[in-house]
Amino acid sequence: MFREHAASMQSPPSREAEQLIVRLLKRTMPFQVISESMLQSVAGVSRPFSYRAGEVIYRAGDKADDVYVVVSGAVEHLLSETPTTVERNRVMHSGDVYGWAAVLGQDKRVRLATATCVETAEVIRINGAALIERLNEDPATAKVVMSRFATMITREFGAPAAAAQIAAPDPSRPDAPAAAPRPQGQATGLALTMFRMSRWLRSPKPLLMLLGFALFLGFWYLSVEVWKLPRFREMPGLTVVFKEWFSKNPTYGLSFYTPEYYEHIWVSVRRVGIAFFLATALGVPLGLFLGWSRTFREYVFPVFEMLRPIPVLAWVPLAILMFSGSETPVIFLTFLASFFATALNTMLGVESIDESYTRAADCLGASKMQVFRHVIVPGAMPYIFTGLQISVGVAWFSLVAAEMVSGQFGLGYVINTSYTMVRYPTIVIGMITLGAVGYVTSAMVRVVGDYMMQWRVRELALGGR
Amino acid sequence: MLAPTMTAPARGARTQGAICIRDVVKVYDPDRAAIMAVDHCTLDIAAGEICMIVGPSGCGKTTLLNAIAGFHSITSGEIHLDGELLCGPSKPLADPGPDRIVVFQNGALFPWKTNLENVAFGVVMQGKMRKKEAYEKARAMMADAGLSGTEHNYPGEVSSGLRRRVEIVRALMNDPKVLLFDEPYRALDSLTKSVMHEALLEIYYKNNVTIFFITHDLEEAIFLGHRLVIMTSRPCRPKLILDVDIPHPRDYSVLTTPRFRELMDQTIEAVHEEARKSFEAGEREG
Repeated sequence: MFREHAASMQSPPSREAEQLIVRLLKRTMPFQVISESMLQSVAGVSRPFSYRAGEVIYRAGDKADDVYVVVSGAVEHLLSETPTTVERNRVMHSGDVYGWAAVLGQDKRVRLATATCVETAEVIRINGAALIERLNEDPATAKVVMSRFATMITREFGAPAAAAQIAAPDPSRPDAPAAAPRPQGQATGLALTMFRMSRWLRSPKPLLMLLGFALFLGFWYLSVEVWKLPRFREMPGLTVVFKEWFSKNPTYGLSFYTPEYYEHIWVSVRRVGIAFFLATALGVPLGLFLGWSRTFREYVFPVFEMLRPIPVLAWVPLAILMFSGSETPVIFLTFLASFFATALNTMLGVESIDESYTRAADCLGASKMQVFRHVIVPGAMPYIFTGLQISVGVAWFSLVAAEMVSGQFGLGYVINTSYTMVRYPTIVIGMITLGAVGYVTSAMVRVVGDYMMQWRVRELALGGR
Repeated sequence: MLAPTMTAPARGARTQGAICIRDVVKVYDPDRAAIMAVDHCTLDIAAGEICMIVGPSGCGKTTLLNAIAGFHSITSGEIHLDGELLCGPSKPLADPGPDRIVVFQNGALFPWKTNLENVAFGVVMQGKMRKKEAYEKARAMMADAGLSGTEHNYPGEVSSGLRRRVEIVRALMNDPKVLLFDEPYRALDSLTKSVMHEALLEIYYKNNVTIFFITHDLEEAIFLGHRLVIMTSRPCRPKLILDVDIPHPRDYSVLTTPRFRELMDQTIEAVHEEARKSFEAGEREG
């Protein structure tokens, strides 16, 4: 609704725009208390602007002239990182006020934060100096408004965890219709992910990551091949391993160019995939029922707790006796550890659900099954996905153990046979491959989890994570 | 500050939502420790009344609320809603239901549902409305409460004051007879709190439901209530019932009136005595 005014930013707002500004200001914390006539006067020094998604409104260090009030859309406010403050960000919606540096003393009018538009936003800008001038016509009101600004500022710098929650009390008046319904709706999960990704790429973090890898590889190279430190001397060196890995004609038969390499990866991934799928399909329902039904738990949990600590390797003989061939025992062993991790975490997830939620659902007339479907399952979801992350990790762990004992293919098998056949560089190739593939599977579980729990992603994003 | 057209309904103008608490006793762990939380509590709350229950922390106010809501059983006594037995000797635990909805201390909007889905939850679960119809009504009710634009936000994304309002709208969606508030504004800062109080009164003037409101904030109690029931410290029983004769509709200007100060003085004394007793009892137990 402000778009037509955006072109004529410098001229004072029209009569109806001024009314809208007054109504919006009434919903904001600092201005909620001031009189109608004062609001009119403040609206007179306000200018509407609109920003596209991704546009930077101001950066830390810029000169601060205006205070901003969000009309619609979303703006991210990121406090800059200094040795004393940790990076903290907040996403602001309609009715939130930011950019308060503009009302500080003359010499302090410098931006401490960076404000970026996350989804197309309409904001009004109030000139800080003019605002103070207008407010000073009524010193009593000015005092209240300034003390509310002060409250906001302490919140920004105050308790970090709570900041995201309480930083924006939007005390919109029930009788005042919202100044502007958000036209674009919400930032979709994907847009949010892309925005965070692009911010990550622009930050120094990717460089730090590369530096970390470089240090690690450098240490490996120097300690084995240059300094030849005791104990490291027998290890395959960096150059040997990478030469072998990228060789079209590898000395020990395994590199990027040999089909066997991919066959081993594929066999391992397939085993983990099947085992992980079974563990999830059985473990999640079992965990949900364990947490939900006390009776069921009395029967099952003691047996469960007795079986859970038995190490995977102790199951090897029984697995071989129970299942024929070499494939099924390996999958069974991989499955076991995953299954216990998933079921246990799911059960803890159900237990973690605040009693108020089930009570609220009871109050609102939900049946027992509806409570299970709408409260227990989604409520346990964060724990379930933590469980699945652990489960994928232990699946790789037990897979390698199982493949070392009884397997004919797979990365665990490669590592084990390379040792017995004195192909040391191949051991390291197998290990690095395991690490990379394991990392990818774990990241996939996290992505699926984020996709299924948009509410949580957004909550965490508000908390600055 | 309130719209001039707003009129306060006469107390009891509504015919539904009268609560009658008779001789209610609640003893926790009757076989061993036998901690008496509520002791022969008798209280009548008229339909459409705002009844503020005031008492020191841990005095057993919440136990009473839980008995009305159907979360806890009672040991003896009876509770009726509009003449119908909620719980009594034959049925110690009331069935929770949409005629009495609790607004929880820490808020209980489902964080995995959007605000709109939360508001529509009750009627959809009860099968009273189809989803589409429920969403339409929910949208209208949220707009009415000044919550437009937050329908598709998750509760975790909006401020705590706004969350409380969504929770109240979620309750009102079901057209309850009674709203049970369990210190809902305890965690809010005083700025947000003052706004929430006026917002609550406006919602009340529109809907006129019976409100059973637990608090230990005296200012809040006098500002909102038709009547204050000051409870003794554990076991809990009405000690002093005080009519607040400040006419509704009220706004924040009543805080500065002499009558308000008078009522404050009267209650402070009674409450202080109970608070001290409860503190000393705590000292002894410790």
